[in-house]
Amino acid sequence: MARVVIFGSLRAFTDGEGEMEIDAQTTRELLRKLATRHPALAETIDAGVSLAIDGEVFKEAWFTPIGPESEVVVMPLMVGG
Amino acid sequence: MRYVVAKDSRDAVALLNTGENARLLAGGTDVLVQMKLGNKTPSLLIDIKSINGFSDIFAENGGFRIGAAVNGAEMGAHAALKAMWPGVVEAVELIGSTQVQGRATMVGNLCNGSPAADAVPAMLAAGAMARVEGPSGTRDMLVAELLKGPGQTKLGKAELISSIYLPARPEHSGDAYLRFIPRTEMDIAVASAGVNLVLDASGTVADATVALGAVAPTAVVVPDAAAALLGSKLGAQALEACAAACAAACSPIDDRRGTVEFRTKIAGVMATRAANIAYTRAGGQL
Amino acid sequence: MKQDFKILGTRPARPDGLDKVTGKAMFGADKSVTGMLHARILRSPHAHAEIVSIDTSKAEALAGVKAVITGDDFADVESRWTRYTMQNCMAQGRALYDGHAVAAVAAISKTVAAKALKLIEVEYSVLPHVTDVDEAMAPGAPVLHEGVKARKLGDDVSGNTVGYYSFGHGNPETGFAEADEVIERTFKTAAVHQGYIEPHSCLADLGGDGRGELWCSTQGHYMVREVCSEILGIDASQLRVTASEIGGGFGGKTTVFIEPVALKLSQKAGKPVKLVMSREEVFRASGPTMSSSIDVKIGMSKAGKIKGAHAKLRYQGGAFPYQMVMMGAMSAFAAYDLEHVQAEGWDVMTNRPKMISYRAPGAPMAVYAVESVMDELCQKLGLDPIDTRLLNAAREGTKSSYGPTFKAIGLVEALEAAKAHPHYSAPLAPNTGRGVSCGFWFNFGGQVSVSMAINADGTVSLIEGNPDIGGSRASISMMAAEALGIEYDRIRTIVGDTASVGFSDVTDGSRVTFAVGIATINAAKAAIKEMCKRAAKIWEIDAEAVEWVDGAAQPTGHNAGDFPPMSLAEIAAISGKTGGPIAGHHEGAPDKAGVSFGVHMVDVEVDPETGFTSIKRYTAFQDVGKAIHPAYVEGQIQGGAVQGIGWALNEEYIYGEDGLLQNPGFLDYRIPVASDLPMIEPVIIEVPNPGHPYGVRGCGETAIVPPLAAVANGVAQAMGVRMFELPMSPPKILKAL
Ligand SMILES: Cc1cc2nc3c(=O)[nH]c(=O)nc-3n(C[C@H](O)[C@H](O)[C@H](O)COP(=O)(O)OP(=O)(O)OC[C@H]3O[C@@H](n4cnc5c(N)ncnc54)[C@H](O)[C@@H]3O)c2cc1C
Repeated sequence: MARVVIFGSLRAFTDGEGEMEIDAQTTRELLRKLATRHPALAETIDAGVSLAIDGEVFKEAWFTPIGPESEVVVMPLMVGG
Repeated sequence: MRYVVAKDSRDAVALLNTGENARLLAGGTDVLVQMKLGNKTPSLLIDIKSINGFSDIFAENGGFRIGAAVNGAEMGAHAALKAMWPGVVEAVELIGSTQVQGRATMVGNLCNGSPAADAVPAMLAAGAMARVEGPSGTRDMLVAELLKGPGQTKLGKAELISSIYLPARPEHSGDAYLRFIPRTEMDIAVASAGVNLVLDASGTVADATVALGAVAPTAVVVPDAAAALLGSKLGAQALEACAAACAAACSPIDDRRGTVEFRTKIAGVMATRAANIAYTRAGGQL
Repeated sequence: MKQDFKILGTRPARPDGLDKVTGKAMFGADKSVTGMLHARILRSPHAHAEIVSIDTSKAEALAGVKAVITGDDFADVESRWTRYTMQNCMAQGRALYDGHAVAAVAAISKTVAAKALKLIEVEYSVLPHVTDVDEAMAPGAPVLHEGVKARKLGDDVSGNTVGYYSFGHGNPETGFAEADEVIERTFKTAAVHQGYIEPHSCLADLGGDGRGELWCSTQGHYMVREVCSEILGIDASQLRVTASEIGGGFGGKTTVFIEPVALKLSQKAGKPVKLVMSREEVFRASGPTMSSSIDVKIGMSKAGKIKGAHAKLRYQGGAFPYQMVMMGAMSAFAAYDLEHVQAEGWDVMTNRPKMISYRAPGAPMAVYAVESVMDELCQKLGLDPIDTRLLNAAREGTKSSYGPTFKAIGLVEALEAAKAHPHYSAPLAPNTGRGVSCGFWFNFGGQVSVSMAINADGTVSLIEGNPDIGGSRASISMMAAEALGIEYDRIRTIVGDTASVGFSDVTDGSRVTFAVGIATINAAKAAIKEMCKRAAKIWEIDAEAVEWVDGAAQPTGHNAGDFPPMSLAEIAAISGKTGGPIAGHHEGAPDKAGVSFGVHMVDVEVDPETGFTSIKRYTAFQDVGKAIHPAYVEGQIQGGAVQGIGWALNEEYIYGEDGLLQNPGFLDYRIPVASDLPMIEPVIIEVPNPGHPYGVRGCGETAIVPPLAAVANGVAQAMGVRMFELPMSPPKILKAL
């Protein structure tokens, strides 16, 4: 089960829950399960989020594999630059 | 719009007198910019650069006569002129960039009527004379007498300036010009000062003229600032009094380029620093 | 990861150099076609006004006028973000800032177009306006758009507050309680413009059949195609966009300001339309970056360890919703390894032009505030600024203040290089101070397409989809040469139009050398595979028994030495007989771009009588992963430093009480001129990015982040008084003295 960390202001949409375990093989699966668990997050997830998987930041990459021991940090979508 | 190359100054005066919305074109670094911005829309542009003598610098009675179409680069390259009036030449050379220097004239700078024009305080300090030609003939007058206000001069209808005369000067004299800009070039003076000094054999200031730019509707001569330097060797007290007189003479505006407070303070700083340079150029030991 | 390179790290002549210095290069305004019209835009003279009516009849009646459009000519679009872009290009119902477009004309000449603008009668009803971020965020401020306030915000902030973000871990208050010294300061920074030399320009031709051609100066022609086709309601496939040579962008050309207007005029007039912004229009109506108001509180132990850190960032981003403060909040404390840290940010709308990215968007001002407080703490506690930063520096394994854990990064290396550099120990003249600051940028990957053709004469034609704004054609050719094992000058890289290669994200986020580089290397791999296959056929051995070494196929395994190697040129020469043209291509969306840190050091002299600051010496250290073409990398570092110096000293958008911009030109919007600056000494540090086969990190943005605080810290030391507001223009400094 990957350890999922909800970062910063996104916690406003998880009733303050900052860490949780989610069983998922890919980022797409993880985001789906996260949205089911915290419906208030769904809007943000639909708009796009960035994910740091074991320290590497991914942007909207659905099929990035997630290991059972992975730490996944969910952040707002990084834009611009 | 018509563009005409004037053959001589009489031709230019006649063209100015046609009643058309006419403008003289020297280097064009003000005129063309204003036309491009749509601020000025002349129907007749009179180019004076081809008039015989307008592009010459020649010695006259121990001083120099500088034609109205002589550009900044040409003044800077004239060693004798620069040696005699380094302050005036450095003021002209501050205008714009290398490209602008190849076009811009001292007379254009004067006639554009900007309170911040760089050459003007230096010309005032030097006691420069302008030769004015018009429908009723030719006359010489002090540059100081031509200043009127932003965008204006006291030139009469259909009058033009054909040359500027910088007079001969005694031994132990020197001039300098300094301006303050927030950068190091390509900017408009926030405050500026031209200082011309004559020393006696002991290094005491025997004669002085101090002029300020960008702190009033026109560049101004400040007799009190000059008086503060007279009889001194530019000691701290004299310079302080000079700066105070400059501050008192300022009636600047508050705008995006500088506050009243800032301009007033800086005018004195520029004047005292320019005085120091002029003093050294005159052979004085600071 | 590859470490020994033949081509990478050399400095070949830039492919665009000759064209640019001889004037041959075609920029946005350089293209003309027969029969084209010239367009001009009418802009709002008010900061905020309802557009009661627009009467265009007199303009339309003027001889030579071929089309006049207003906001009414644009149909609504589905995506709200596209709608904002569209309404920024042409106001609908309300003019939201001084300079906001309200109508446009296409005519047979510029003069006629200008005349026609004067004949358009607009009736405005002036509305209250707000341009300051703190005022705009306060309850009761005039609200720019209803219903877009960020979710979950209370009544303590106005409806202009369109975004709220918070990052961090631990509890700063706990940290402050443990600290020996706590400093809290408020800072303000002005909005600044990207200042690219080339104004926005385009030539649009949209026929009645919905087929269009658009030539424009942009950082992303695919972005232009997507946005314009949505706004115009045409198919993306029917609009071909070609990016011109670009005279700078720095983030400012990552959106559209005029292209939809030119296309609409062209559609209406049935003729090609050229539209070129004046410099004044660029200032009034293209994107500057955000202005800011920032609180930073940091607690430190006597030994220099940061115990707790908290930042509150309020950014002003103009007349439409936007999301950018987030990047500031994520960057603010990125340089440090902290137990208790929080950075919060609010995005706020005002009656100013819609902000757009500017080099490391959001980061410079946040880092300025943080690094200023760091400096003040070091001063107060008598600590060395570099040692203190080293003590707290983020390194591999540090859990960053914005979430992820860092992989290999080069901050410690940059700080150590700075400390060892002779600049740091050089004596200081009177009235001179030395400032130091760290800086950070994320760098991005993203979508990319590359297509590479192996020509029969042994040369390579490479097409990529990202406008080259920083020398990418050179670095891409170099990476292709390295991957193929051939000479650099056998390759020509061009930027293809939207019909010639697959989609590519905008050239931004320091992503091109990284992402296009990966695609290029992969395209080369595909071509190599094909070339090995051809050689195998000729040799009549298995394709697996052929390997690619130094630009040639050679037999390997038990076939090793059986045949002499076949070079790329040899294989290419007979490709027509061995199966046809050889090419390689790659499309992808690489991540793992690898963050980049920099450290800048500056000596500034402050004239105590005038408040004039001059930069005496400047050294910039930056981890770039791997410098492909070091001269370009140095240019990026120098350019970033110079733009940051301008931000620190003189650049600012000045608004009057009337909400009008007072300095829309380079005379009173003061970017540094060459004579203002010493040689900026760049020091390249290479800590390879594990996410790229050659170790590349983006390097274009980090360098604009440290200069603000470095200069401010130098000024504080030189004059013994600290400034809390940028720019530190002479009147402000003199006042503080
Ligand atoms: C990029 C740039 C930078 C600049 N920097 C500076 C600067 O640093 N400092 C500064 O002071 N100015 C500066 N200027 C303004 C300008 O260059 C100067 O005022 C210059 O001296 C004008 O000279 P000109 O020959 O180009 O004048 P023009 O543009 O040809 O003429 C200026 C005005 O004088 C009138 N005029 C010209 N000749 C005569 C004559 N013989 N008799 C009567 N009227 C005449 C013209 O009709 C016009 O009204 C700058 C301009 C530019 C474009």
